Amino acid sequence: MPNCLVCYKWTLDEQDIKIKSEDLSLDSSRAKGKISDFDRNAIEEAALLVEKLGGAVAALSYGTAAVKQSLKDVLSRGPEKSYWVADASAEQADATVTATVLAAAIRKIGPFDLILLGEGSSDLFNQQTAPRLAALLGLPCLSFVNKLEVEGDVVKATRKLDDSVEVVTVKTPVVISVLSEINKPRIPSLKQVLSAAKKPNQELTVADLGLTPEDLAPKAVRKSVKGFVMQRKNIIFKETAAAANVAKLKESLASLGLS
Amino acid sequence: MNFELTEEQQLIGQSAREFGKEYLEPIAVDLDHTGEYPAKIIAKLAGHDFLGLLLPAEVGGAGAGFASYVEVIENLSRYSAAVASIVNNHTIAALALELYGSPEQKKTYLPKLAKGETLGSLALFESGPTPGVGPDALTAVKHAEGWVLNGKKAYVRNAGVAGVYIVFATADPALGAKALTAFVVDSKTTGLKVGKLEETMGLKGCPVAEITFENVVLPETAVLGTVNQGQAIAAKLLSIFYVAEAAQTVGIGQAAVEHAAAYAKQRVQFGKPVAVLQAVQTMLAEVATDVHLARLGLQNAALLIEEGKPFEVEAAMIRSFLVRLGPKMMLDTCQVEGGFGYSEFMPLPRLFRDIAGTVLLDAPGDYPDKTIAASIA
Repeated sequence: MPNCLVCYKWTLDEQDIKIKSEDLSLDSSRAKGKISDFDRNAIEEAALLVEKLGGAVAALSYGTAAVKQSLKDVLSRGPEKSYWVADASAEQADATVTATVLAAAIRKIGPFDLILLGEGSSDLFNQQTAPRLAALLGLPCLSFVNKLEVEGDVVKATRKLDDSVEVVTVKTPVVISVLSEINKPRIPSLKQVLSAAKKPNQELTVADLGLTPEDLAPKAVRKSVKGFVMQRKNIIFKETAAAANVAKLKESLASLGLS
Repeated sequence: MNFELTEEQQLIGQSAREFGKEYLEPIAVDLDHTGEYPAKIIAKLAGHDFLGLLLPAEVGGAGAGFASYVEVIENLSRYSAAVASIVNNHTIAALALELYGSPEQKKTYLPKLAKGETLGSLALFESGPTPGVGPDALTAVKHAEGWVLNGKKAYVRNAGVAGVYIVFATADPALGAKALTAFVVDSKTTGLKVGKLEETMGLKGCPVAEITFENVVLPETAVLGTVNQGQAIAAKLLSIFYVAEAAQTVGIGQAAVEHAAAYAKQRVQFGKPVAVLQAVQTMLAEVATDVHLARLGLQNAALLIEEGKPFEVEAAMIRSFLVRLGPKMMLDTCQVEGGFGYSEFMPLPRLFRDIAGTVLLDAPGDYPDKTIAASIA
């Protein structure tokens, strides 16, 4: 019966983020939070495993103060308990910092047989957290997993790679990052939503975890984030002869360095 | 004063939105074309506790409040108002039993209604000017063992698929509506016949039919509440129903606004998206405002119901507001999309029909104004 932990990120819903036309800066003032899409697959996979094999699922997240908004949401999706680390450092955290915080938390609340994460987050999609977390914990890491079977302490995973499909087995404990195709996350029923409030959650502070300001400082600091808007040139060639239009198009592309 | 939904209410709304996106969006167009009752979807809704949302946990319901309920109806309606209408008609029948049922009636029906094993329906309207009056009025005649019902009910939603009907009949034709009495009638009762399904303008898939009662014999225990209490029960249930239907209208309106806005951003005319043209902006701004204000009125009425406070005037106000502005929301959004908006391959014609189905049925045109005026003058 596996003892599972799912690590998830509370991100902004990208559909709610607007790009300001004047300077391409992002307006996220009205954006709602959500559990990062691939992390929902990780939560679902852990819930399915435990429904089938028994065991337990807990959830862990590191984020800004907003991460507290995620607790009932995540607890309505299967986990029996959630742990959360809310710290302003998460605003600028890179994958190294995130993995450092998660590893420290896992050392405190663990051990776990299976530690599941989404392959990448909805906002940054760096795909770095799982391998860095595994390295810090000294555990094997299976990434790009689209099928998972557990029997006793043996995990059999199918990994979807660029040019091949790899089936591997590994003994627990292990860190696993999953792809979206591994399952279809459940839609919580109303009773699951309402019972989430009764499940326990526990805050862990960075001080509890013995982390220093240096541990929480990213190597690369993000100065700004700008949206990308494809500008149309709106050039219409109006020559009568098609060949003349083609010639003008060729000339125009050449002037842009695209010939 | 707090206009913010609680975390639970938001999550319940999110759950309904995810359900709508996953299960209703793919079937909405087919449902509109075929009008076939979506039995599998209703079973899925039951599995997610949407059919027992308002019923207490003791009978297997979710025990959520009315503010959560309107969140669910709005979000389901964004994807299929027909399905939301089935839920609304089921829920109002379940609520009738919860509010007025005897312990025995509750024990018999509420657990099945909460789990969605049985669907509920309200059989209130008749072809006459008001229930209990007119040549086809349903009458209930007292006899030694109980009651005998004869007559017809019109525009019964969930007709043919419901397992239990809350039926209103006059216990004294001379008194008409004043003697209206509610009965709990099992769909298998001998003499109850569901007529041919009506072909309706909108909300296709929510079955509507006439029900005929021919010497339907009911025991005394079938009376809901007390004899002659039917008019008061109907008034209360309809007031609640108007708020539930307002949620349906707001959901349809929201879907229309989102579709029109997305269209206006990608439709290029005169070298730029039509979304930057002032005439289009005015229409989008007006309809978005109408939907927003309607939602606030709706949430206010829903909260009053949840808190057990008087809500009838606010329910009438939101009904009145949406009877006027619901169809306008559709005209405005169709206008934004021009000829495309008018075409059946776009969703707005379906939404237009669904909003008509929501605001045209269930209430005499002057009902809300009478209630509102009586409260102030």
